[in-house]
Amino acid sequence: MSKGNDDKPITAKKFMKEFHRYQKGSITRRHFLGVTGLGTAMAVMGTAAPSLWSGQANAAGELGDRLVFSTWPNYHDQANLDEFTAKTGVNIQVNAFGSNEEMLAKLQAGGTGWDVFVPTNYTISNYVELDLIQELDLSRIPYYDAAANNPKFAGPATVNGKVYCVPKNWGTTGFIVNTKKIKSQPKSWKDFFDVTMGKGSGHTILHDYQLTTIGAALCALGYSFNSIDAKELAEAEALLIKSKPHLFAITSDYQPGMRSGDGWMSICWNGDGTQLNNDLPEMHYVIATDGGEIWTDFYAIPKDAPHLNAAYAFINFMQDPNIQAREAAVHGYAPTDSRAIALQPPSLASDPILHPAENLMNGLEFGAAQTLTDPIRAEVMARFKSA
Amino acid sequence: MRIYAIVVFLFLYVPIGIIVLFSFNAGRHASELRGLSVQWYGKALSNPFVGDAFVTSLIVALSVAVLSSLMGTAAALALQRLKGKIRILFDGMIYVSVMIPGIVIGIATLVALVTVFDLLNPLLASIWPEGTKPPKLHMGYASVIAAHTLFTMSLVIILVRARIAGMDRALIEASMDLYATPWRTFYQVTLPQIYPAILAGFLLSFTFSFDDFIISFFVAGANTTLPIYIFSSIRRGITPEVNAIGTMVLAASLLLLMTAQFLLRERSSR
Amino acid sequence: MSKDNKANRWLTAALLTPTSLWFLVMLIFPLIVILVFSFGERAAVGGYAGGFTLEQYANLPSRLKAFQNTMLIAPAGTLLSLIVAYPLAYFLALRVDRKYKLILLVLVIVPFWTSLLVRTYAWIFILGGRGIPTLLEFIGIEGVRLINTPGAVLVGIVYGYLPLMVFPIFVSLEKLDKTLLEASSDLGGSPFKTFMQITLPLSKPGIATGCMLVFILLMGEFLIPAFLGGGKVFFIGNALVDLFLQSRNWPFGAAVSVTLVVIMLITVSFYMRMTLRNKTGRDESLM
Repeated sequence: MSKGNDDKPITAKKFMKEFHRYQKGSITRRHFLGVTGLGTAMAVMGTAAPSLWSGQANAAGELGDRLVFSTWPNYHDQANLDEFTAKTGVNIQVNAFGSNEEMLAKLQAGGTGWDVFVPTNYTISNYVELDLIQELDLSRIPYYDAAANNPKFAGPATVNGKVYCVPKNWGTTGFIVNTKKIKSQPKSWKDFFDVTMGKGSGHTILHDYQLTTIGAALCALGYSFNSIDAKELAEAEALLIKSKPHLFAITSDYQPGMRSGDGWMSICWNGDGTQLNNDLPEMHYVIATDGGEIWTDFYAIPKDAPHLNAAYAFINFMQDPNIQAREAAVHGYAPTDSRAIALQPPSLASDPILHPAENLMNGLEFGAAQTLTDPIRAEVMARFKSA
Repeated sequence: MRIYAIVVFLFLYVPIGIIVLFSFNAGRHASELRGLSVQWYGKALSNPFVGDAFVTSLIVALSVAVLSSLMGTAAALALQRLKGKIRILFDGMIYVSVMIPGIVIGIATLVALVTVFDLLNPLLASIWPEGTKPPKLHMGYASVIAAHTLFTMSLVIILVRARIAGMDRALIEASMDLYATPWRTFYQVTLPQIYPAILAGFLLSFTFSFDDFIISFFVAGANTTLPIYIFSSIRRGITPEVNAIGTMVLAASLLLLMTAQFLLRERSSR
Repeated sequence: MSKDNKANRWLTAALLTPTSLWFLVMLIFPLIVILVFSFGERAAVGGYAGGFTLEQYANLPSRLKAFQNTMLIAPAGTLLSLIVAYPLAYFLALRVDRKYKLILLVLVIVPFWTSLLVRTYAWIFILGGRGIPTLLEFIGIEGVRLINTPGAVLVGIVYGYLPLMVFPIFVSLEKLDKTLLEASSDLGGSPFKTFMQITLPLSKPGIATGCMLVFILLMGEFLIPAFLGGGKVFFIGNALVDLFLQSRNWPFGAAVSVTLVVIMLITVSFYMRMTLRNKTGRDESLM
């Protein structure tokens, strides 16, 4: 192809000639489109009116080469993400968030550019109400099997009869103790705060997350993890502010602090507990006797996701029971999918942190939807942080 | 005195040394050194998001630098001719825009633009011809560039004005007396004198914009600048990839500096 | 002549148009919106709902600690930077051989070209449990905690903004007439006296510029306390990010922003009046 061809508009005669060559199969479609300028025209029209060409876009280069994924710290095996990239050519940008409120604030402000994110059970109905997430086309997630998922965990995905997300993992929120530093074996949130303000002063980490941090204080006071009662919240705030001088940090990414030895105790999700315990046997995960959280995380797609095809491909890939089992082996959170649980090695399937005994979980509560938007909880957390 | 200087330079360079050292880490974690390797450079270079972020930052910083030096210089020249209330008004705004913390600029711009867009978008959609997709206003390049330029433009005005104040006015008058056109006077007399200030302003604007995190964090929309990318990498649990990016940016600016130095020396020796 | 004047006026107006537009759209308009929002109410799910209430301003005392932290650590950080920077600038400007001057000066600025984020991150490692505290354990000092303290934030501040302080002071010292210093010592002035009576007063514009730059940036600082304060050393900047990106209380965030701007305007104009009485000094100092 000479350079002149690119610049000059093609003549009718030459166009017909190229067209015949294409029909005979002596030139490729790509060459035909290039020489005749149709390719450029199509590209221009394609960007101008994407709906017209959506069928085309699906056929060729369907997934694109990137995906923006917002999730939580220490929640994936990089090897699996790399495998997805190797298989599909889609590169994943991972953003980590420390709270559902932060994800909500980003989505409310708009223009996040996210394709997939990981909300927790109690937020889904809010997202639907605020029109921030899409209903999922389950036919595009063939690996997902509703029947294999325990409805106790998968339930919140369905709002008003429509499915908005698919489950990722479930888990509990308790605390982690470095038993080399703290010998008194705290068992409850009350113990947790007592040790924080006593022997362990200066070494406790609380989450930068209203649900778990306020929830822990509420449980220590004997109230519900989900309380939005003004008086109970005021007491919780007082307890938090009293403990603040004794904290090491307020952050949801507590693993680095625990690993470096600066932190001796932290509010902790069970999978992080397993990860820490695997590397440092002195780290013990505790489900508090006076309450706490049980939760499910989901994969969801925001309303304005720019790479929709890649988003579906990624969710489907992550729903593959084999991948789920491999993920769980690294991040230490239990799958909700019975097919994935069946694939787990016996040591994990019977692991007390991944699958605690039912009676231990009696006191645990699922987060309640109103805690996400409750103004008092939001302000209590903000005041505690700036105190 | 000399020992003190050495200590301060150590203070300045030990962290940088650590950044560079860990960029060659073979391990995954930024805090444990496990043998040396250049794999993270490969990872960073082949990661399209790093490339995107770099290009975004470059586009933003260049636009900001060009816009602020042009508008800032123009304004500084014009302000020289002004006296009275208008001058005071402009002086006030220049100082206010330098004084306001970046975080407030970021937040105020976000809040204001989101409000305006929420009003305009339905309007646009209603007047747009049926069947075609109406354009949607959103945060992006334009909002970051505009927000950065507010601060850097004022910086350029201050720099250029200080230079004009120290300029030899007799030269300009002489040029005018010789019936040179205003344009010629500007081009041949004024510009050569204020040129260093404009250049300094350009470089400062570029540096500020390229390294700014907080304003971009609020107003960049879906665009990811390099500092935003680095911020989210740090929150995700830093890998040596971030160190590799930092080291490469450092190396690139050093290289640029040396080239500039070399070119300047060439010119002055000629 | 009048025609000339008219043309001149048009030119001036044309030169000022883009800048005026910018101030209007990017400064005045957003500030008005923020002001309006600060009298509104938080919407039920977060964000802004209209209305007129002074509630947000009444709630300001709940962020008193953040204001206090900022108002204490920002000046302290500025002063500390000045104390660290001045001798270095003095050394570079007056005591270093011309040959090495440029290269040493460049060495001061170079760290500035590595992202502030990455540089601050390096300090998390240095001050964290595996950094200096581990080194101290080797020599028998145990249980030292550096990270997530005001001290750590101060170190980060000095590190982050040192070049900004060194540079203007260097420029003003560099301009200093060396014959003055020689004259003073010839007249039997002790080095200390020479410094106090000649060097220091003449470097004032540099000091003023450096301090102002660092102070302004510190008042809105978010990153350094976020990284080195671990959520325990909270600046107004952190409170603002929190209000907009976590608790989604836009009206209150707007009220805090307005308050911060007012504080800035008062302190900086007061400061400018104090340090720079004459106009030429003002222009020069901001170079």
